[in-house]
Amino acid sequence: MSEGRARILVVDDEPGMVRTLRTNLRGHGFDVDTAENVRDAIAEYDRGRPDVVLLDLGLPDTDGLALIRTIRDRASTPILVVSARDDDRDKVSALDLGADDYLTKPFSVDELLARIRVALRHVARPASGTEAVFESGDLRVDFGRREVRVGSRAVRLTPTEYDLLKALISHPDRVMTFSLLLRQVWGPGYASEGHYLHVYVARLRKKLEDDPQAPRWIQSEPGVGYRFRAEGG
Amino acid sequence: MVTLFIGTVLDGAHFANAAMLYLVAVLASATAFGRGPAVVASIAAFGSFDWWFVEPLHQLTVADPKQYVSLLLFLLVAIVTSQLAAEQRSRTAQALEREREAVVLADIAVLTAAPDLGSSLDAAAARIQQELDVAAVGILLRGRPPVIAPFSADVERLFRGAAAAPANALSPSLAASATAPGRTGRWVRVVSPVPREERARRRLHSVAIDAGGASAGSLVVLRRAGAPAFRAPDDRLLSATAAQIGLAVDRARLRDEATEGEVSRRSDELKTALLGAVSHELRTPLASIMASAGSLRQRDVRWSDAEREEFHGSIEQEVRRLDRLVGELLDLSRIDAGHLVLRREYHPIDALILDVVGRLRAVTSAHELRVDVPDDLPPVSVDYLRIDQVLSNLIENAARYAPAGSLIEVSARAADGRLRIEVTDEGPGIAPGDRERVFAPFHRLPRGERAPTKGAGLGLAIARRLVEAHGGRIQVEPAPGRGARFVVTLPLDAAPVPG
Repeated sequence: MSEGRARILVVDDEPGMVRTLRTNLRGHGFDVDTAENVRDAIAEYDRGRPDVVLLDLGLPDTDGLALIRTIRDRASTPILVVSARDDDRDKVSALDLGADDYLTKPFSVDELLARIRVALRHVARPASGTEAVFESGDLRVDFGRREVRVGSRAVRLTPTEYDLLKALISHPDRVMTFSLLLRQVWGPGYASEGHYLHVYVARLRKKLEDDPQAPRWIQSEPGVGYRFRAEGG
Repeated sequence: MVTLFIGTVLDGAHFANAAMLYLVAVLASATAFGRGPAVVASIAAFGSFDWWFVEPLHQLTVADPKQYVSLLLFLLVAIVTSQLAAEQRSRTAQALEREREAVVLADIAVLTAAPDLGSSLDAAAARIQQELDVAAVGILLRGRPPVIAPFSADVERLFRGAAAAPANALSPSLAASATAPGRTGRWVRVVSPVPREERARRRLHSVAIDAGGASAGSLVVLRRAGAPAFRAPDDRLLSATAAQIGLAVDRARLRDEATEGEVSRRSDELKTALLGAVSHELRTPLASIMASAGSLRQRDVRWSDAEREEFHGSIEQEVRRLDRLVGELLDLSRIDAGHLVLRREYHPIDALILDVVGRLRAVTSAHELRVDVPDDLPPVSVDYLRIDQVLSNLIENAARYAPAGSLIEVSARAADGRLRIEVTDEGPGIAPGDRERVFAPFHRLPRGERAPTKGAGLGLAIARRLVEAHGGRIQVEPAPGRGARFVVTLPLDAAPVPG
């Protein structure tokens, strides 16, 4: 974003897809670089230093996961994974390796643009979650006082519920995998105890959401994790 | 004999020596002939000794009453030692019998442990037949063809009849003969009132085979005509063999079940993998279509005509790709379901090849295409459209993977009753490990540098099925230098092909 336009690296081996995305993203004011395999992607990354990487997991030379590892070794550039793979494990591996978000093919371009904007906001505001007070609609979390309110109603949370909410809020609009949340809230030994997480998320929703069945803030990403929608309110 | 020996060689031996020598003779006959002959020998020795060496000589009387004691002692010793020797003899015989049983059973166990039940049963039957020296041995198992050594149709009929009757209950006389050990055979003049087969049936002996707690069939033995009835050891051997065969049958059943489980697991895995690949292949063009269509609908950007044209073009191209994919999937499933009908007619193959090459001129425009087909090739019975499809696929692949400007050669030759068509390119070639895999559905090689589009990875899978339906073969061979060579071989004589 050094010249005012964000730069996006599109890594996909489908020429049709690359063409469409390039035209669309340029139309929306982005600079676009493209690569169709991991080797070229690394070269393009080093050359253009993109602000966001759009990565298809099924690449011809090596697995796209390898590219996530390489980029994470260098910088915290947001990586948006795009994949036609059906397997949730791929998404989870990508997110656990450090990808920021994922979209499953086919996706709507509007959704893609929204996710890119979220990723760019994080680039602009990297220290999110460290503010003393977080507000989203009528949800207000005062981290200094450990105080949570929905509208005028004070919400009493247990320490674990509070930690979970804090972990979610600290990565707004991004998917956090089950294992990442478990590790952050319960500790490294609990990465596979998914049922803890489900129970606590259900409790949080009950305390925060008007309709826990259709949550505004804490969204499920089936098979992958949870996403806190900052604009949920 | 002993008397003669003493008389001539020892020239009137001492009384005690003579007694000892008679005892040796008694022991020898006990060892050689057994218990009964040993008693007879003891009494004969007693008589001879009295006759020749006890006063008065040449009479069966005794002059000196003291010698009664010696004589009776001699008889006692002779009988006791002969009995001991005979006992020893019978134990030795038993031990030999058991050893033979053990050896035969060990052989049968080894033979029936082979993975292929059919051949292990053949070997076991042959071994039993040789060991018992019988006319024939049959292993008749439910749900399997009968195993008969040596095979003859008459014996098979006889055995099948025996297997139908309950085992060990063939006829009262047979049951009696089978359980009467030690009965020896005798020659009799037979003017039989019973027909030949009926007589043969009397020489049958059958033992039930149990596997996994249920009856699995029977082991049937046909004694030689005139051979003695079975003795107890033979019976025991047959029962033990039947038990071994039962175990082998059980083992084979378990193995089959395990194999079936494995096959079904693998087939499930394959189906899952295929489904995954199909969903990936369908989603990829759909994603491009959706992205392009979504772009066209967006109102926040004013797309130029060129940009709109690009989105439209992308949609059209991906729709065509989807259409082709669906067509190929249908082809593949039709062929795999056995619904492929070939419309075979005799066609000149040179015309067919030139036809395909002409049609694909646009695809191969960046390559140098050389066609080497003699015009005297015999006509081949093929489904024109299907072989056209196969060759088109091979040439398109060559164009897709080989660099621009390189040579693609299509040639055909007839030799040894076969037509051999080769499509050779100068592309990156196919690694030896991939030469079979390229024919698997959805297997795709890394794309060539200039390949404008990707195939779905179904073309070669379909090509292989089509060529095989013609009774031919398709395979990859290394091309001279780098590059790949696909070889299609078709039979020149139109053999009828199933399907």
